[in-house]
Amino acid sequence: MTLSLFITKSALRNKRRTLLTMLGVAVSLGLLTLMMSVWKGFYLDTGSAESAQRVITRHKVSLTNFLPSYYRERIRTITGVVAVVPNSWFGGTYKDDKSGNFFAQFFTDAVEWPKVYPEYRIDPDELRAWQRDRAGAIVDDALATQYGWKVGQKIILKRNIYPVDPELTIRGIYHPPEASKTMYFHTEYVEEAVSWAKGQPGTFSIMCASPEAVTQVSQAVDDMFKNAPAPTKTESEKAFTLGFINMLGNVKVFILGIGGAVVFATLLVSANTMAMAIRERTREVAVLKILGFQRFTILALFVGEAMLQCIIGGLFGILPATLMTAIVSSMGGFFAGIKMTPGLFAVAVGVAAFIGFISAIVPSYNASKLAIVDGLRHIG
Amino acid sequence: MSETRNIVEVRDVSKVYKRDAFEVTVLEHVTLDILSGEFVALMGPSGSGKTTLLNMIAAIDHPTSGEMRVNGSNVFALDDAEAARWRNENIGYIFQTFNLIPVLTAFENVELPLLLTRLSASERKEHVMTALSMVGLGDRVHHLPKQLSGGQEQRVAIARALVTDPNLLLADEPTGDLDTKSATDVLEILKRLNEESGKTVIMVTHDPHAASYAHVTRHLEKGELLPL
Repeated sequence: MTLSLFITKSALRNKRRTLLTMLGVAVSLGLLTLMMSVWKGFYLDTGSAESAQRVITRHKVSLTNFLPSYYRERIRTITGVVAVVPNSWFGGTYKDDKSGNFFAQFFTDAVEWPKVYPEYRIDPDELRAWQRDRAGAIVDDALATQYGWKVGQKIILKRNIYPVDPELTIRGIYHPPEASKTMYFHTEYVEEAVSWAKGQPGTFSIMCASPEAVTQVSQAVDDMFKNAPAPTKTESEKAFTLGFINMLGNVKVFILGIGGAVVFATLLVSANTMAMAIRERTREVAVLKILGFQRFTILALFVGEAMLQCIIGGLFGILPATLMTAIVSSMGGFFAGIKMTPGLFAVAVGVAAFIGFISAIVPSYNASKLAIVDGLRHIG
Repeated sequence: MSETRNIVEVRDVSKVYKRDAFEVTVLEHVTLDILSGEFVALMGPSGSGKTTLLNMIAAIDHPTSGEMRVNGSNVFALDDAEAARWRNENIGYIFQTFNLIPVLTAFENVELPLLLTRLSASERKEHVMTALSMVGLGDRVHHLPKQLSGGQEQRVAIARALVTDPNLLLADEPTGDLDTKSATDVLEILKRLNEESGKTVIMVTHDPHAASYAHVTRHLEKGELLPL
């Protein structure tokens, strides 16, 4: 036998209580892991290197306000700008209004698009085919897989914002670093069908020469149009995406609130369990001391027991949460970054261990300094 | 008894408990020598201070005044950590209620004190099997305490007490919870350990029959050690 085995056997002494405690920790840690992966995906991930070089320019007042298309040529004159494409949200419906059939659709400039999104890999022949076909579209591999789309397949989008139902042919399937579930097609298609849409893109996506140039370019673009009829707001692609998320409310506070409540509640459950478990073994502590166990060893035995329970319980929660993040991540778009990483896994296990440690440290310390004669007199 | 040195030297030891405004004297100026290899019974009515004296010999309780040397060590001068280490190396303690760890097998219970030593797993196994064989439980190694009778549990407890090969065994009412047959078995084991292995045994008991196994019986009454 080893002290580790002793800890394990002690942890399983009251199986029902241990199981219920582990279950409580599992549910809490599962939820916490989900919250942490959302936090990481939304606020910590910087995206690809190319993404860090990209900025989005939109109307300063609102995303629903359009920008004049001539801004594009003026933006090109700014030092540090490599390429600019208009990007407009089409917002059509595919098949029906069910959320499962929702995906992002943009119309853009197919010729310059690869310069702004160089990390999106696409077969050169497919790219050329898309650039040549005004009714052509490209979709990312996740979207193609979801609907079983093949190159050459025709699909129809139904109108919502723009009064046109595009009949598009998939000319290519691109491979972004993370699933985006996005379709791109030609600006000309919409502009020829909808006269008022002509020359009025929703946003511009700008590729900068380097990540260091992003701030300067953003400032220069906004300064350039500060007194224009359509003033702009230019921000990094990450900040632009976060803007959508923040429309939901203060997501940061929500995540922190849920995470904090979960950890605190789990701490109370675990602390209660450990306090009961240690109290029941007061006499045993005295016996261990008589056998020669020192205070630190007894402290380590109980704290180790609590940490073991919490880590195992935590793993039972973290593993299903990992599966859930994979499902959420596969939805693409905003959710593409919500995924489990080894670092996040380590943090989650660390939180479980921390809960075990904190919940047991006080009763364990009290037990470790218990006078042997008092422990031997204990009945219970 | 091959050695005649004192293994326990108690000098003018007193113990006073304070309970609210009252003071309760448990031991009063007790002086006692126990020779190495002796089998001593401590008898006396409840509250006479027998267990308190035994606990002091085991360095688990401290006196209000007085001195004590056990196995050459001034046990009252040891701090918590030193006392724990000293007990592990010098003392085997047997309780009335056995106090085995319920989730550990007989083997594991006996092995517990050895986990604090530098012995390898195979050496520990050898020591445990020897100790269990000495108490006649070599065939019960994988049984949990609840699968053993009271007598068998106490024998496991004795094996646990002697597995580190201490030269002093302290037994606090070791037959108090046992039937006559089991009590006799336990006493025979203690006697054998004393006579054949040279262990010094100090046993607290109420039972004159148990005390009859000892070479010397000392009586305590109201905290005072009565003369021989």
